[in-house]
Amino acid sequence: MSSKINGHVSPQPCPHLLVFRSRNGPKPFRALQDCIRVKPPGGRAAIRREPTEVPRCGTCEESSRSRLYACVACAAVFCHAPLLHSHASDHSLSIPGHEIAVDVDRAELFCCACGDQVYDRDFDAAVVLAQTVNATATTSTSGSTAMQCSVAGSQPENLRKRRRVDYRPWEPDSGEHISRGNQSIPLLDATNASLVSSTQQPWGFRGLNNLGNTCFMNSILQALLHTPPLRNYFLGDRHNRYYCQQKNGAINGTKNSRLCLACDMDALFSAVFSGDRTPYSPAKFLYSWWQHAANLASYEQQDAHEFFISMLEGIHEKVEKDKRKSQSPAGSGDCCIAHRVFSGILRSDVMCMVCGFTSTTYDPCVDISLDLEPNQGGSGKSSSAKSLNSFNFEADCMRPNQNCGISTLKGCLERFTRAEKLGSDQKLFCQKCQVRQESLKQMSIRKLPLVSCFHVKRFEHSSIRKMSRKVDRYLQFPFSLDMAPYLSSSILRSRFGNRIFPFDGDEQDASNDLSTEFELFAVVTHSGRLDAGHYVTYLRLSNQWYKCDDAWITQVNESIVRAAQGYMMFYVQKVLYYKESENQGTS
Amino acid sequence: MKHSVNRPPTPDAAEDQGKEPTLQEIINIKLIESGEKERLMELLRERLIDCGWKDEMKALCRAHVKKKGRNNVTVDDLVHLITPKGRASVPDSVKAELLQRIRTFLMSAAL
Repeated sequence: MSSKINGHVSPQPCPHLLVFRSRNGPKPFRALQDCIRVKPPGGRAAIRREPTEVPRCGTCEESSRSRLYACVACAAVFCHAPLLHSHASDHSLSIPGHEIAVDVDRAELFCCACGDQVYDRDFDAAVVLAQTVNATATTSTSGSTAMQCSVAGSQPENLRKRRRVDYRPWEPDSGEHISRGNQSIPLLDATNASLVSSTQQPWGFRGLNNLGNTCFMNSILQALLHTPPLRNYFLGDRHNRYYCQQKNGAINGTKNSRLCLACDMDALFSAVFSGDRTPYSPAKFLYSWWQHAANLASYEQQDAHEFFISMLEGIHEKVEKDKRKSQSPAGSGDCCIAHRVFSGILRSDVMCMVCGFTSTTYDPCVDISLDLEPNQGGSGKSSSAKSLNSFNFEADCMRPNQNCGISTLKGCLERFTRAEKLGSDQKLFCQKCQVRQESLKQMSIRKLPLVSCFHVKRFEHSSIRKMSRKVDRYLQFPFSLDMAPYLSSSILRSRFGNRIFPFDGDEQDASNDLSTEFELFAVVTHSGRLDAGHYVTYLRLSNQWYKCDDAWITQVNESIVRAAQGYMMFYVQKVLYYKESENQGTS
Repeated sequence: MKHSVNRPPTPDAAEDQGKEPTLQEIINIKLIESGEKERLMELLRERLIDCGWKDEMKALCRAHVKKKGRNNVTVDDLVHLITPKGRASVPDSVKAELLQRIRTFLMSAAL
């Protein structure tokens, strides 16, 4: 019952809806739009003939039925409970052309003959507009003024639909068989087996020496060394540094052939996973990175997050130069391993508050930077403020996402995806009105990456006061995180119910419920002041936590991690995390 | 406008015909007119989300749709599927809270 138009899936109308449309002109629900009322507490849209109407079934005169539908043809209201009695069905059977009705409490169209929801683009757009305008208007009495314009959006460009492929277990081909034997070093053999089994630590743990304020680099490297897809890529020899340098030596001459951050990563992985437990000095890596990020080349303390971004760029740049591929779609992650692992797509909806025209843009991102709340005690949801009056106040505070003064990562994400009214000094150009208008902006996540990196903005740089300061406020973060509420599909659906959105993409979000669950595997923390501080990384393997403090790696209790001041948190998709930790062939 | 032609009788006609409105009806109307019903609905929605009830129902619906196929399921099918289980699995604390709220409201409305 769905068809694709321009790559977008939209539900096909049932035969009764088609007949109804053919009989009632191009905008058959135009009159219904005048009856859209938006109700204050939750901002939900309802259908009422008059604002104070109490709808009741025309046949049984009950108003306390759970589903009441108003016939669009004659405005009569009937109840609908298919197994007990459905006066709505009776009505639709008795008069042809009266099959289409609207749920009075949900403002959703329904076909009484088919027993299923149907959709009309213009009507849904009008409901969306009524709800949005009402949510932000200061003195509106009801959202029922005639809506002439429809909500439209720009098409997402170059978004390919990802097809699922069946799982096939890996078998080496003939070439791989040979190269496996020739150039690989066995991980566990007689010489280093004793080395490994004598320690309690899992594979791949090696301290990194501080080369002079380089804890910012060490902390990020430790996190990357244990980022499951990244680790698998390099340990799986997907970027062979010998082969890469050979190739580049031939093309560019020996000078440039050394600048490949991916080769340096490969070398780092080999060193750290070799089985040698003595601390490693990533001097060559540091030197290469200095060459790449010349402006940051010094022995001063740098920002770990800046280093992270610059590293990903470095890996991307070199690979791009090599392959000289045609530009792959932004955010698809086809360009390099860095983007394949970290790149997601953010969606930004900007709605003009005068005419309702919405422009949607999609931007790739490798991480999400979150603001801490400006002041403690601010509540995440408006309805939770309301519930302070109920006698369940204490129970409310026990709920994990109720804010009683503690900042949480979920709270930050909720704020990140909240609809925000842009100030009057930030008017954006509306294509429909052709002038700058006040706008409403809402962010959401269109596509989740394999690894989500959250960066907490703890360093405030005030250009006014010409100073920077660090925000030490504690942020609570979960070990398991479900990103479903922050997806574009969830954000839009929670505001408007079941509607057609002209820019709605594939429906894969619904069937992807498994891949919205993430597991925390690394936390980069910062302690101390802005100018004199120290970075430490906590890693989680097989549900054990380890503290990586430059050259020293120790096992710690999870309570230590929970209490730490998180600066960057790394979450990997749950399906990738479990498989990884199952195969820890250790002690 | 088509819809204004065939309007059914207004609600007052029911009382003219001598039909006594039930207590449930009277309470329902009072709740709606005062706006309390909307507030209670919002509270209920919040409680049912918090205790995981909504997620459970969603999962049931998804499983059903996966089994039958996306194009072979209607809203009525889903309502029929989850209504008995849904009614049975509302936590007692939620029922108690809402009943208490309704009682408080009725006392204050001085019926």
